[in-house]
Amino acid sequence: MTTNFIGARIKALREERRLSQDDLARLFGFKDRQTVSAIETGERRVTAEELVLAVEKLGASLEYFTDPFMLVGEGRFSWRQTDVGPQKLSAYERSAGRWIAAFRAIAPQVGRSAPLLRRSLGITRHQRFEEAMEAGERFVAEFRLGDVPAMRLVEVMERELGILVLMVDAFQGISGAACRLPELDVVVINRHEVEGRRHFDLAHELFHILTWDAMPPEHSEEARETGGNRVEQLANNFASAVLMPKPVLDRYGDWSAIGVGDLASRLNVVANELQVTASALKWRLVAMDRLKPAIARSVPDAALRNNGRDAVPAAVPALFSKPFMEVIGLAVDEGRVSARRAGALLDLTVDDLADLFTTHGVSSPVEL
Amino acid sequence: MARHQGPVLIDTNAILECFRVGSWRALLNGYSVETVEECVTETQTGFQRRRAELQIDAAQLVASLKAVHPVEDAQRAVVAVRAPDIALDVGERSLWAHALTRSDVWVLCGPDKASMRFGVRLGLKDRLIALEALLDDAGHRPKEALKLAYTTKWLEKVLGELFISEGLGRS
Repeated sequence: MTTNFIGARIKALREERRLSQDDLARLFGFKDRQTVSAIETGERRVTAEELVLAVEKLGASLEYFTDPFMLVGEGRFSWRQTDVGPQKLSAYERSAGRWIAAFRAIAPQVGRSAPLLRRSLGITRHQRFEEAMEAGERFVAEFRLGDVPAMRLVEVMERELGILVLMVDAFQGISGAACRLPELDVVVINRHEVEGRRHFDLAHELFHILTWDAMPPEHSEEARETGGNRVEQLANNFASAVLMPKPVLDRYGDWSAIGVGDLASRLNVVANELQVTASALKWRLVAMDRLKPAIARSVPDAALRNNGRDAVPAAVPALFSKPFMEVIGLAVDEGRVSARRAGALLDLTVDDLADLFTTHGVSSPVEL
Repeated sequence: MARHQGPVLIDTNAILECFRVGSWRALLNGYSVETVEECVTETQTGFQRRRAELQIDAAQLVASLKAVHPVEDAQRAVVAVRAPDIALDVGERSLWAHALTRSDVWVLCGPDKASMRFGVRLGLKDRLIALEALLDDAGHRPKEALKLAYTTKWLEKVLGELFISEGLGRS
């Protein structure tokens, strides 16, 4: 955990208040702006008295300057949501930001730093949707995602790409988000979404992470498997190809030979096998020219709802993720984060925290 | 060991454990036990961060303690700048913030490793004491066994590890 975040937060608030270093020097009673500069860059440590002055003069809480588990003026999010208002989204973003900030602060302390280098996809917004799909197909092949790519996607994102994937409890309407920090990439997924949508969100957010610099996504976008602006459509095409690559779909035979009456049930069966939504599968087949658009449109949405199952199985992934809990566990065990603080961070009792470690197969360090 | 004669500063976890094993009265009989307002709050239902919560009457708890100290931002700021990388909960942080203002011979009873790391880093290792040691020295043996983190052996082991981890064991 860097110890210079206090200086960085003073700088962030000074800039937000549109104050110069000279202005701040006067407020603090320093003789020149060099002292402010030294504090902001971490060359000089702030004293307790100066910290209290910052609280008084800049009108922020002590926690704002001293809580390492906060994102302050850092981190860009891109949310996939349906009808979630900006205030609600903003409040949830603050919660997610705490988990992410905590991981970022703690992971290097316990020897789990994010990779030094980032992977990226050489795709720009001007490229064709077919090229995004081709990139998805190549991703599956290069990272050996196998016959059911959805099954190994999280593992590849975590282990091969160093992306932190968090399964979270979120408001209804929030599907997930991609988050980029200077030193960390994160994908947040609402674990209560149906399996197929979770996987689509994952692959969609993966595209944003891999193309963030070339085409930064919007802060908030509507969660759907087709349509949206060009970047969203590229992301959807990439996601479809990752989860349903051609070689896998071709194993299921000639889709155009299936009668309209049997199509819905076939889509549902295959979608269940591939752990995607039948609707996403249908449009993927159209994009691959394996199914005529008119025939696809003739399949009623109701026949594909929940992939044709009456009740959706309630297999919900465990909260957060194993790599995340390993880092929290090491931090508690090494005495870098107290167990009560870890519980507060994750909004769990100390006992539930201990159980969550066990759920993830992580040895619980909680001995209280 | 000889019973400590000065104030005992106790944190939320230790208060809860002491109540759980039915040794609160024995502790109070043996020592001048003090805490901070935030720790009192954290002993109340809804704030304990425990699945099975204990019913502790706040007024009785406060009346039974030698003192309950308020903690100001200026005191908490000292903790923040001394160890910005150690993430403590509100009560743990406030208790240390209060402890650092005192010049008498206090000891602090708080079983969390992060709280202990803070004490070790500030050269206050010898001020940390296990709940088990306090009760033993007061001639009391709890009817129910204390959890591991409240035992003397565990404290010694953890302090040794933290001392080395903080780079204080090198010559």
